[in-house]
Order: sequence, then structure tokens, then C-alpha cells
Amino acid sequence: MSSVDEDQEDLTRKERREQARAQRKAVEEAEVASAARKRRLGQLGIVAAVVIVAIVVILIATGGGSSTPTTTGKASEETVALVNSEIGGIPQNGNTIGNPNAPVTIQYFGDLECPVCREFTLGALPTIMQQWVKTGKVKIEYKSLETATREPEVFKTQQVAALAAGKQNLMWNYIELFYHQQGEEGSGYVTEAYLQGLAKQIPALNNAKWMSARNEAALSSQVEAEGQAAASAGFNGTPSFLIGKTGGGMQKLEHISLTDPAPFNEAIEKLLKEG
Amino acid sequence: MSAQALRKTLIVFAAIGVCLGAYLTYVHYSGVTPPCSIKGNPCSQVQKSKYSELVGVPVALMGLIGYIAILASLLAPDSERMRFATMAFALGGFGFSMYLTYRELFTLHKICEWCVGSAVIITIIMCLSVWRFLLGDTPSPGPAEATLDQSAPAGVA
Repeated sequence: MSSVDEDQEDLTRKERREQARAQRKAVEEAEVASAARKRRLGQLGIVAAVVIVAIVVILIATGGGSSTPTTTGKASEETVALVNSEIGGIPQNGNTIGNPNAPVTIQYFGDLECPVCREFTLGALPTIMQQWVKTGKVKIEYKSLETATREPEVFKTQQVAALAAGKQNLMWNYIELFYHQQGEEGSGYVTEAYLQGLAKQIPALNNAKWMSARNEAALSSQVEAEGQAAASAGFNGTPSFLIGKTGGGMQKLEHISLTDPAPFNEAIEKLLKEG
Repeated sequence: MSAQALRKTLIVFAAIGVCLGAYLTYVHYSGVTPPCSIKGNPCSQVQKSKYSELVGVPVALMGLIGYIAILASLLAPDSERMRFATMAFALGGFGFSMYLTYRELFTLHKICEWCVGSAVIITIIMCLSVWRFLLGDTPSPGPAEATLDQSAPAGVA
């Protein structure tokens, strides 16, 4: 074999070694890339799992599910029966409940979404209704003052819905049902379906007339005027009360209890004694 | 799409997110009513609901901080760690955005256009950042490195 042939054979061997090295390198690089891809996918999976767990925890902590209160079913029937037992048979006129000639008038400034108003309406009010309103000695006027409702448009819509029921002298049925079936404050439960659901629970209410009355500009103006009257009286919280002889001057009723009617009883008795 | 193009696109969306988050944070603290084309302004109702805060912190502020974190991770010199950070922030933001959308649709029964806008942006950022993270080591020069490269003499860079 000549030296030229030996050189060519060496070159071929060298090329083969380089080819093998290149192949090994390619395989190693592919393995490294595959391992890196697996590692990244693993990291992605871990992050995704942590995010999912965190969101589930937030959901549970902030309360899951819909916050729309129920206005149908057995619970609704029981509430309607309770409301009827409390205010059934008492005359109503617009926003007023009680004998039109009652010697004493109470003005109740409230926000239908206000949980404190609910506490009063379900607490002290039934006794006041029983003892003073049913007996014709006191009449109560419901007036709107925005406090708990966070959105003015929603406030006006819900208060007007109650006033529209007042056009059929059923405002207090609507108010009572609203407070009894009140949802969680600030949860946005006051939807059109909720407002109509309340109306449907009042059998005597003509739904078409009620819907039509809700568009009356006078009712919106009334809500605004009552808010201004509350501001003039220095009220910035609900429930707030004015009390006085019917047709006479009204004064603030302070230091009331949400569950105990005693402060109301004292003020009413005092006014009745004055004649 | 190249890694560099992905990064630039992400920077644009993150910057839009920062602007949106800043505006919604301003709306929350100032109490102004945000413009909304839907009747009854559900945007305002959503942003005044109790779900507009989480443990006393406005969710709009959380969103702003999240978008700033994403933007910062994108502006930092490119590395696997930064790509991971962008992906992790984006996934967290996307998950939180899904939670807020759930609250809008199934709890408040109202939809806020601003929130939907933010949800769309964070979804795009999440998809692109996951893609960029999985794409792996095709580093694009960070601003600092890019500056160095441009200033380096020919044949050295």
C-alpha cells in the first residue's frame, strides 16, 4: 500500500470519527432539549396548579355561588304568610300604612338594601305595628334615604319599584317582602328578576299597572325629594325616624333600638298624652 | 413568531394593561362613574360591589400591580428565569381574572366592559407568555444587552 492510500484511509477514519461525534452531539443536544422541555412543562404545571388552588381558596373565602335571594318556593310562601299576618288588614295609602286620621305620624327613612333597616323591620317594627298602627293610633310613612345601596341608579330603581306598588296601596307589602328576602349587602342581588320576583309574591298587585307605574317620573322625583328632606333633617344613616302629631311639627326620634320598641312606645305615649 | 417579536408584543399588551389597571384604580379611589355603553352602567355597579375589593385591597389595584410586575419581567434582561416570571405572573393574573369574570356573570349578574377588556388582555398575555416560556432558549437581547451589542465595534459583538 502506498503512502497516498494510507493518507486517504486515515482521512476516511477521521471523517467517520467526526461524523460519529457529530451524531453523539446531536443526540445529546436532543436529549438536553427534551429534558429542558419536560422541565418547563413541569414548571408550567406546578404554576397552573398553584393558581387553581389559590383561586379555589379565594372563591370559598368570598362565598361561592349566586347571591340572588330566593323569591319563590316554600320559603317565599312562609314569608308572604308572615308579612300578611303583620300588616294584613291595615289600611295603606301610597307610602303610608295606618289609619289616615291617626293622631301620631312616624316617618321611617330607609334604604331597602340596608341590613340595619332589615333588623329594625323584622325586630321592633312588628310590635309597633301590632300595638299602635293596627289600633289606629299611629301611621307610618316610608321615605327613601340612600345609604347601603352603592349605586344611585339601583337605589332609585328599587325605591321606585316600592313606590309603584304604593300606587295600588301595596307599598308596605313590597317593603316588608324586600326586607325579609334581602340579599347580602353589596352583592348586586337587586336585579330586575329580583324586583319582579317580589312583586309576583303580592297576589293583589296588578303586575301590568305596577310595571307601568315604575316609569312615572313623579316617583323618581319623590325618591330624590325624600333624600333631600332627610338631608335637611340632618340624617345620614338608616333607619332614621321623625315623629310628631299628625299635621304638626316633626322631631327626630333618637336613641332607638332596632329590636326593642320601648323608645317608640315612650315617644308615642307622650304625644298621645299631650292630646 | 420569533422570541423577540413575542417579547415586544407582550410588552405592548402589558403596557396597555398597566394603563387600564391605573384607570380602574383611579375610578375605585375617586368614586367617579366610568363610561359604559351598557344601559344602567353595570361597570359602576360592578366596581362598587363588595367583590371590587379582596381583603380590603381594591382588585383594580391588584390588577395594576400584576401588570406592572409582568411589564417589569419583560423589560428585564431576557433569561429563562425572567420568562418563567412573566409566565407565572400572567397565569396568576389570568386565574384571578377568571375568578372576577365568574363573579360578574354568576354572582352579580352584570358585565363590566372594562373588566372584560382586562380579561381579554391578560388572556392574550397568558397565552403568549406560556408560548414564549415553552419555546425555551432562543434568547432575545434585553434592553441593556441590546445597547451593549449596538455600541460594540464590528467584529467584536
